[in-house]
Amino acid sequence: MLKFTRNKLASVYRKDGKTLSVHGVLEDDIYGLEVDLDLDFSRMEILAIRGKWNRMENSQCPRAIPFLQEAVGFRLEEDFVRKVQKIVGRKACRHFADLILECCEAARDAAAIIQREGDKEKEAGLTVAHLFGKAKDVPKAERPEKDGEPDNRVAGGVVIDLHVHSFPASPCSSISLRELIEEAKEIGLDGICLTDHNHWWEPRKVEDLRQKHGFLILRGNEITTDQGDILVFGLEEDIKGIITLAELRKKALAANGFMIAAHPFRGFLTFGIGYLGLTVEKAMERPLFKLVDAVEVLNGKVAERENSFAAKVAQGLRLPVTGGSDAHGAGEVGLYATRFPGPIQNERDLIEALKKGGYSPVVFRNRCPD
Amino acid sequence: MAEILVFSRNRWTSVEQMDDRTFRATCRVQDTLREAWVEILVKAPDLEIVQVKGEIRRSPEEKERDVTDDLQKLTGSRVGPGIKKIIRGLLGHSAHAEQVATLVDECCNGVILSFTKDVLVHAPKDRAGEREFFAGMVRANPRLYNSCAALSADSPLMEGLELDKDND
Repeated sequence: MLKFTRNKLASVYRKDGKTLSVHGVLEDDIYGLEVDLDLDFSRMEILAIRGKWNRMENSQCPRAIPFLQEAVGFRLEEDFVRKVQKIVGRKACRHFADLILECCEAARDAAAIIQREGDKEKEAGLTVAHLFGKAKDVPKAERPEKDGEPDNRVAGGVVIDLHVHSFPASPCSSISLRELIEEAKEIGLDGICLTDHNHWWEPRKVEDLRQKHGFLILRGNEITTDQGDILVFGLEEDIKGIITLAELRKKALAANGFMIAAHPFRGFLTFGIGYLGLTVEKAMERPLFKLVDAVEVLNGKVAERENSFAAKVAQGLRLPVTGGSDAHGAGEVGLYATRFPGPIQNERDLIEALKKGGYSPVVFRNRCPD
Repeated sequence: MAEILVFSRNRWTSVEQMDDRTFRATCRVQDTLREAWVEILVKAPDLEIVQVKGEIRRSPEEKERDVTDDLQKLTGSRVGPGIKKIIRGLLGHSAHAEQVATLVDECCNGVILSFTKDVLVHAPKDRAGEREFFAGMVRANPRLYNSCAALSADSPLMEGLELDKDND
């Protein structure tokens, strides 16, 4: 018996010489929605968008409809996918964002067909390379508002947020380095560790930042592997793309580095342990835990019970545990951190301290939605 | 003027529960330019991909291709947050890889939504019950907070919500 089905339909026709009209339908067990888009054919720009729900998850889903207008003016270039996911997906609804992307991909294919068939009305500047080309995501900076947070400094030792993301090194982050550092200082952290996704920080650049801000800034990296995200420290290599965990382990060992399994159960308890039958004992068997040095058990981006589950697994395996905010925006840095018993002044100290043990994850600032 | 379609696409995804622990997700796409399918077998409780196969039957880039060998890189990955990035990273970025990756994405999304559906069937219809239900869902999964218009800070469903603070 089928447990779930989803159907998506996108169809495109030429409304006039300049406009492509796209109709999209998404129909699955949970959602039923439709969009109609008009795109400027020569610039591949969204001119108009209309959307409607046929069936929805809850009574507040219609609140998404006005936010669809945020996509008007978007062009199918560079960071289009990211913009639709981030702006329409978060402000409106990710299923509308999904359908808009499907429709726009269809429009891109339609334009290619028109182009290929030698349409006399094609506009200047629209080349096959443009239509099929892959543009690199170059997102624009956002400057989120700062909010005041209480000083909840944990007494004793040094407290370092081992997991933060800055923009633009992490395109998914919306907080600049300067804002991140100022906020970390303001709330009383002793230091932060930059763990931008698959981004290697130049030592000199980070040293300049340390000097400029008079604050401990350390370098790390969050690497995506086939077994999930890993925080790596001490690895002087710019790893791009996905790497296997085994390969990353080899590199980290060769570099005398340190590896932490980041948010190992993110999303895995969303539907309740009962639904998946995931037990601590079963989770302890994951190959992942044989190839890391520690487990992040306080992560600011996952549910409390996912953190708690990670803690139980780490305890069962007798692996050291750490905390980090996984900050991607203002007001998030220092949410969780790691308290070390002794002083840490540089990356060598950090790695030695991580290997030595005796540290613990801490809740550093209040976790509130507003 | 006749409004003849220039292009049309159908993308169909289904998830079938084979036994207590096994789910089979299939995604097929058929459009003016291409036709392809991917099938993944996922095992609970880790939602680990244990088997993947697929085929491109028609595309502008190539006529026919069994992509099952390429897809083997995905075996052992777990369906969950971050899987999109893993799929893209493991399969690469060639035209056919992008096409196949999209189908795998849809399969993974289908598996996750099939579990979401299991939860949503319990959502009460009355306003008060609905608010309690979704507030509870967000409290249990804080990353859902502000993840869409319905769960935004000013949504009636989130009225008076306080996310848990105690974690130590």
